[in-house]
Amino acid sequence: MIRYLLAFFALTLPAAAFAQSDVTLTSEMFVERTVPQANGTAKTVLEKPDSVPPGAKLVFVLSYRNQGSAPAANFSVTNPIPAGVAFESAVDGGSEVSVNGGTNWGSLGTARVRNPDGTTRAARPDEVTHVRWVLKSPIAVGGQGKLSFTGTVK
Amino acid sequence: MGIAFASIWGLNMIRNNLLATAGVVALGLTAAPAFAAGTAANSNIVNTATVNYQVGSTPQTQITASNTLVVDRKVSMTVTEPGNAATSVSPGQTGAVTNFLVANTSNATLDFGLSAVDAANGTTLHGGTDNFNVSSFKIHVDTAQGGVFNGTYDPGIDVETAFVDELAADTSRAVFIVATIPAGRANGDDAVITLTTQAREGGTAAAQGAVVAQTTGANTAGMDTVFADTAGVTDAARDGQFSARDDYSVSAATLSVTKVSRVISDPINSTNPKMIPGAVVEYCIQVANAAGGADANTVVVSDAVPAQTTYDSTYGIFVGGNVNGTTGFCEAGTAGGSFASNTVTGTIASVPANSTRTLYFRVAIN
Repeated sequence: MIRYLLAFFALTLPAAAFAQSDVTLTSEMFVERTVPQANGTAKTVLEKPDSVPPGAKLVFVLSYRNQGSAPAANFSVTNPIPAGVAFESAVDGGSEVSVNGGTNWGSLGTARVRNPDGTTRAARPDEVTHVRWVLKSPIAVGGQGKLSFTGTVK
Repeated sequence: MGIAFASIWGLNMIRNNLLATAGVVALGLTAAPAFAAGTAANSNIVNTATVNYQVGSTPQTQITASNTLVVDRKVSMTVTEPGNAATSVSPGQTGAVTNFLVANTSNATLDFGLSAVDAANGTTLHGGTDNFNVSSFKIHVDTAQGGVFNGTYDPGIDVETAFVDELAADTSRAVFIVATIPAGRANGDDAVITLTTQAREGGTAAAQGAVVAQTTGANTAGMDTVFADTAGVTDAARDGQFSARDDYSVSAATLSVTKVSRVISDPINSTNPKMIPGAVVEYCIQVANAAGGADANTVVVSDAVPAQTTYDSTYGIFVGGNVNGTTGFCEAGTAGGSFASNTVTGTIASVPANSTRTLYFRVAIN
């Protein structure tokens, strides 16, 4: 049995090394700002700040790109909500969230938390600990995309 | 850098790639976060995302990406008057205390400078209108005893100071104005005090920091300072200051004294006694306190016994009695007082507002 496993690894390791699928990921944070316009309306713009005050609405943008030579399958992006940020929503409806540190996943609408008295209630957005996207189709060579969610600086 | 919304959301193509939402019910124990003051200033928000994927059936090395933002310093504070009522004082009172509460609603520990002014005449508060200034006042700050801030003024313990030292985010401290009220003020007189606090740099205990300055111009890479306070009674919004008012309302006693007499008996008539030598006369001294004021305590009454009369030491002196509503003469009370140097003296313990108390004694006509 052990001999078989070793042989298996011997076969698979070179395969991984030769995969040539180089996926890149970048993380960016933008702050949402309302700018009054000359015609009296307000325009919402995203700025890329270096520092933010409490209460600022942040937009997190994750950009991925497959610049390797093979499709990337079973592609998932997991983002723990940073300390100091209250999750609001993931703009892409197909995202999953966890309210217990990444143990269980689902839509926010179905997530529940347990009260001290043992009863449960619907989880609030600010109780989300992780957000995740699982893409069902492989990312083709050269394929790219962006994922985003919003939160507020506590 | 500013980019339009659409450039980020114009990526709906990926939605089609997303798995249908798994029907997992997540159960967990999560405490509701309390962040009134917010994430600590100058702390970092670090976002890290992780990608897992496979090539063919082979899991590839995880890829992570992260970036960091610095949390700015949001400076805000409030001053409140906890009782929301005037402090009742008596004319000439020393150590008259009115209290405020200074709360640090910033996301950083700060000092808070304190200044107080006696408001101008005409300032209205708590139904009163300012018409006098206190003789003097000092600012004291609640000082911990055994690590506990009790929120009430303790003479000799709560130090006189011009600032609240090192007030942590989301905490508050009681501030006391200790004033001397001028003598001679009448019932209903009012003195309004305005307390203003100003954000000052924290970091050095037992020393007042410099006035906090707001970051002007563009957002910097480091921690910026933003004023987020609202307007108080005499300060503007977003000026790093906050002000509130409290007042002293004089509650005085307005006393009036009436003296009446009646003949109790004479040596000749068994009824309708007359004021003849040997007759006994009762003197009734009535001390009235007007309605709406304070109780008058320890009211000392003294009355010289008229010439040509002799104090009736057998009958004695009665104090603290009342006035008979029908006859208008004194009744009840308790024996007390003293007679010396031909003068009757007695102390009425208390004359409540809107009531009358008496002292009475008898003399014989020589």
